[in-house]
Amino acid sequence: MTSLDIDPSEILVRYNVQMEKAMSPEDAAAELYPTDELYRPIAEAIFEGEEDDVIEGLEAAIDAGKNPIALIDDALMVGMKVVTDLYDQGVIFLPNVMMSADAMLDGIEFCKDQSDEAPVSKGKVVCHVAEGDVHDIGKTIVAALLRANGYEVVDLGRDVPVDEVIEAVKAENPIMLTGTALMTTTMYAFKAVNDRLLEAGIKVPFACGGGAVNQDFVTTYELGVYGEEAADAPKIADQIVAGAALDALKEEFHKH
Amino acid sequence: MAINRYTKMAYGSADEMVFGKSKFPVKAGLGLEIGAGYATPEVNYAPRPEAGASKEKLVKEYQRITTDIMNRMVQVGFPSVVLETEHVEQMTNNPTWGGAVAHAQKEIMEEFHDEYGIKCALRHTPGDIREDRDFLELRGDKFNTLMESFEEVASNGADLLSIETMGGKEVFDYAILRNDVPGMLYAIGCLGTIDMDFIWQEIASVAKKNNVLAAGDTDCSEANTAMFIAGGLLDKNLAHTLAIIARAISAPRSLAAYEAGAVGPGKDCGYENTIVKSIAGVPIAQEGKSSTCAHSDVMGNLVMQCCDLWSNESVEYHAEFGGTSVQCWSESLAYDCALMNTATATGQEKTLRDLMVLSDKYRDPQGYVLAYDNAYRVGEAIVKDGNDIYLRAKNAALKSIEIMEEGVAGKLELTRFEKGALADAKEALSGLTDDKDTFMSDCMAKYKEEVKVFLPENYGL
Repeated sequence: MTSLDIDPSEILVRYNVQMEKAMSPEDAAAELYPTDELYRPIAEAIFEGEEDDVIEGLEAAIDAGKNPIALIDDALMVGMKVVTDLYDQGVIFLPNVMMSADAMLDGIEFCKDQSDEAPVSKGKVVCHVAEGDVHDIGKTIVAALLRANGYEVVDLGRDVPVDEVIEAVKAENPIMLTGTALMTTTMYAFKAVNDRLLEAGIKVPFACGGGAVNQDFVTTYELGVYGEEAADAPKIADQIVAGAALDALKEEFHKH
Repeated sequence: MAINRYTKMAYGSADEMVFGKSKFPVKAGLGLEIGAGYATPEVNYAPRPEAGASKEKLVKEYQRITTDIMNRMVQVGFPSVVLETEHVEQMTNNPTWGGAVAHAQKEIMEEFHDEYGIKCALRHTPGDIREDRDFLELRGDKFNTLMESFEEVASNGADLLSIETMGGKEVFDYAILRNDVPGMLYAIGCLGTIDMDFIWQEIASVAKKNNVLAAGDTDCSEANTAMFIAGGLLDKNLAHTLAIIARAISAPRSLAAYEAGAVGPGKDCGYENTIVKSIAGVPIAQEGKSSTCAHSDVMGNLVMQCCDLWSNESVEYHAEFGGTSVQCWSESLAYDCALMNTATATGQEKTLRDLMVLSDKYRDPQGYVLAYDNAYRVGEAIVKDGNDIYLRAKNAALKSIEIMEEGVAGKLELTRFEKGALADAKEALSGLTDDKDTFMSDCMAKYKEEVKVFLPENYGL
């Protein structure tokens, strides 16, 4: 390198450093954990993404007389909400959410195994990657964030034929359908899905995003709601559960 | 063709590296020499989606695109251009479509070359179609179709053959979303390199047979995925310190193309290319401030530092106020190149290089590590154990961490989260064995268990 050098503060601003929260993630989480001595270790284990500790905490709670299915809402989802809230606030990063979601799902499976009852989710969402497109990391993130927020996800995978999407929507009756695509050449399948759903008289909100997908394209079909980032998916679902119609969803999530 | 690992640097020092000039320039296409002392714009484009409906429509679309670009180059007086056609999936899955497009494009380029003397070359980049719905299928029928595609484009006018391979991606996608640095190392450094060794020997054979150039690969499917997930300064999806560790690990993976017979120029989206150039001395393409039509990054000027081709990544073909999109972006690229070439002609190339680097070097840890002086150091760490695909990738990761730690002690600012991720990564890497076989065996057991779509047979394992 030559002798050229600069004071970088004159030509760039590290806004992320400026805006950093004073509180560490662990400190922030500690303020949000439930106080119940049986629930708290489970919530902490969810935050840490430690599957074994989650199961251990659940076993202790069940031994103490707690209902396994009730533990899903009272402990697992409470712990997960700590994680998703801190992610929304910019205190923790996506991989923390993914690891916590893995731990939570293990915990839910354990609770289901311990009971004959079935848990009730906030709602069912069908997720897929557009036909012709095998890039699925965006869909994986969307599905994890939806599950982390208490939704049941029917994950159809990647490169999903339009017919299969339509059949799944008919069979599962979801509150929302999501579609991700990386390539402009594949996202046209979203239009076909939209048209086929309308032909069948199904007006389910269809949240679309990823790679080359943009708001202009999504607004060209009636059921489309554009999700600029994966974290929008649970927010759109929450609005649907709260009763928002398509127009209201577009008003809120179409930002450009 | 045989695999020849790099165990020493092409350049004696980082300062020898500069844009427009490479240790081993290559002649390509119609009068063009890449890395021979001048930088050339490389224009990349995508057809409008409806053009993919038939072979005829697609060929017509690419004829329009090619004519538009060549016309604009001549109208504004630029001496050289490369066109890159990244295949839409229809073209690779139907090899004769790709061949027809290459043929149609080359005919137009030949007309312009004959009439105006403009130096030009055509790169074709078939898509890595070696996947089915559930699994990567790196070897087998899809691989055969892919090779047919290379054969078709090479025999019909493509001068440069490239691809962005997917080897290792199934494990990488799992690992990157879980801050799993050993998993990234296994996916990119080991699985990715094994796949590169396999496919690039074949591509180099096709190139040799057709007297065209095997022009290199990038780790787009992994390192760029990390960069895109990391996003901008305020995004909270992935620590930027982890994104640059993935990038450092990607350099030995991209290097594997040259070890199997490629000669360059490397592909534009390989932000790891400065490291690769320091080791292999091959010409490279890069993209940055003039690829904002396709995506954002945090090192738009810096990454131009040592480019031989300067690319816009990709733009959909459509109308803009200034002409068609390909005309607008090709003109912007060509003006960038004119500035670089003026700097070279006036002996100011190192000053311009360093100004571009300094404008971004402290913007983000990614730019800091990829600044050519630091990139060179990553290169040295790779060649130190150049014959061991695991150790050299691990060395690259550890060196990038060391460089960031030095930066933090100086002018590079990191958030506490970025520093935390850096410390965690260092701890995870420091605990790893130095024995490749042990690492491979441990990872095989772990990821076969945790990643249900991971098929070791894809890698001959």
